[in-house]
Amino acid sequence: MSGNAPPAGVGARSLRALPPLFLLGVFAALPLFHPGANSVKLLFMTFVWIAASVGWNILGGFAGQVSFGFAVFYGLGAYTTAVGINSGLSPYLTYPLGAAVAAVASLFIGLPTFRLRGPYFAIATIGVSEAVRVVMSNIDFTGGASGYRIDEHGPFRQAEHYYTALALAALAVVVSMAVRWSRFGMGLRAIRDDQDAAADSGVNPYTSKLAAHAVAAALTGAAGGVFARYAAFIDPEGVFGFQRSVGILLMPVIGGVNTIWGPVIGGGVYGLVEEELVARFPQIHLLLYGVLVMLIILFEPGGVMGLLERARRLVERGSDA
Amino acid sequence: MTATDFLNLLISSLLLAGTYAAMAVGMTVIYGVMKIVNLAHAGFLMLGAYFVYELHERAGIHPLVGVVLAFPAFFAAGVLVHWALGRGVPVSDQPTLASLLLMFGLWLVLQNVGYLVWGTDDRSILTPMTFATIRFGEITIPKIGLVVFASAVVSLAALEFVLHKTWFGRAIRALIQNRYACRIVGIPVQQTARLTFGLGIAFAGAAGGLLALLYPFSPDFGRPFLLRSFVIIVLGGLESFSGVFVGSLILALVETFSILVVPSSYQPAISFSLLVVALIVLPGGVAGLVARKRSRRAG
Repeated sequence: MSGNAPPAGVGARSLRALPPLFLLGVFAALPLFHPGANSVKLLFMTFVWIAASVGWNILGGFAGQVSFGFAVFYGLGAYTTAVGINSGLSPYLTYPLGAAVAAVASLFIGLPTFRLRGPYFAIATIGVSEAVRVVMSNIDFTGGASGYRIDEHGPFRQAEHYYTALALAALAVVVSMAVRWSRFGMGLRAIRDDQDAAADSGVNPYTSKLAAHAVAAALTGAAGGVFARYAAFIDPEGVFGFQRSVGILLMPVIGGVNTIWGPVIGGGVYGLVEEELVARFPQIHLLLYGVLVMLIILFEPGGVMGLLERARRLVERGSDA
Repeated sequence: MTATDFLNLLISSLLLAGTYAAMAVGMTVIYGVMKIVNLAHAGFLMLGAYFVYELHERAGIHPLVGVVLAFPAFFAAGVLVHWALGRGVPVSDQPTLASLLLMFGLWLVLQNVGYLVWGTDDRSILTPMTFATIRFGEITIPKIGLVVFASAVVSLAALEFVLHKTWFGRAIRALIQNRYACRIVGIPVQQTARLTFGLGIAFAGAAGGLLALLYPFSPDFGRPFLLRSFVIIVLGGLESFSGVFVGSLILALVETFSILVVPSSYQPAISFSLLVVALIVLPGGVAGLVARKRSRRAG
């Protein structure tokens, strides 16, 4: 895969870091040019999606454990933040809190399912968001199925939300890189490729998967929290719904699983396209995503990143000739 | 709770178990042979429901005849899908990320085609049987439940016959046991896998039709039943046919009797809770206990 490029020299590596940093700078400077509130909202949501997408990829891509239930973490992060803000905590304290709650929840799902080989984990995650949604719909404390309102005092500052989401997305990418190039990340990759061989070389598949799940859940939970504060109103169907899980899974698959930038690209595409598509074709958009996933798996499992890699190779071959 | 209530609940859970077994067996056979977790099962359950519904509404065909017709129709659909997906649905040793996502994409497609064609409204199939009951003294049995149960049992008996008395069935069972040995003795693996996929989808479609006689349905019909199918095959040990019956019975009993203690709004969470309990207490399912003994003997 593209991530397995030979170790480049220091110069080459810092050169490769330039485009992302440039992009980050552009997005950071964007509010200075007074874009419309709608564009800012679109970008805000895109950053939130990117954070969740990058989170999913740490477990689903690096460790190869597909989860259909990341809405649980997104929703728990959202509700933790909502309750935290309403009880007077600083929002910036509630994000890590939401992340922590999500990470703890990830253990509850991972502890029974990662012990077993086979598809148990993926199967269990299909049910887990449904179960949590049902429970949350019945808890009176947070308003049950009718949703929960966040009463935050002070004026609404869209730029603050924007920067929070941007910072979270950047943090997610940094975490993803740190995991990828660490011993821990190598272990995850080894588990993905061959669990027995990984176990023989001293990687504990059980604890590694649990840790990857927790990191992924924490990022997704924080994303849910950032979203909740912006939306100021959340309901179980919206944040815990199966559609949410589907969305979080689609982004890295579209962009390219098991890469650093694939989930970012996928999140960007999804975030920018989603709002338009959902508004215009409430049913067709999932049909399109379904077709897209099938085409990707059948013809280019690497997603957008895989296509880019192909294009790069074509160009190189062209310049050789 | 009186003895009559108990008996009524027991009978309704038995009836439910038969339908559940027909629903889950299609998933087991595909998982057993190809190690593919067929998430599109939900989509085919839903299509089966609408297949029977449309035949009933438009052509006036009796729903039970519709269920019988669903077998060949969905078998053909399954074979076609397997052919179209080609190398995307290989016969492998363990479920792959790719096949999982592929079936997931197929499910999304089927479900949303359903929304396009039939909209979001709930439909139901109503026949004179729907509200009829049969009474034995204090005990009342819904007639429709009995009819659906009988159909499910007949189809499962037919499957047992195919599995044990035909070469195709023997090939399926052999593939579940050992794919390499199958190649050695000359079983056409790819061809058997294709027919197996068709068989699994045929059962999904027909079971969807049966379920549609019991419950109202919408294009999202399959999802709760997908999860139930999982619970059943996990309880049954993923690739064991007898395990499916045991798993169906356990799930039906738990679901039916939990009405007494769990508020109805929490009902959707029950199958998941059962799944988690099964994973902790009984990894490998009921049949896993047997398999573990067997492997210990072999090792």
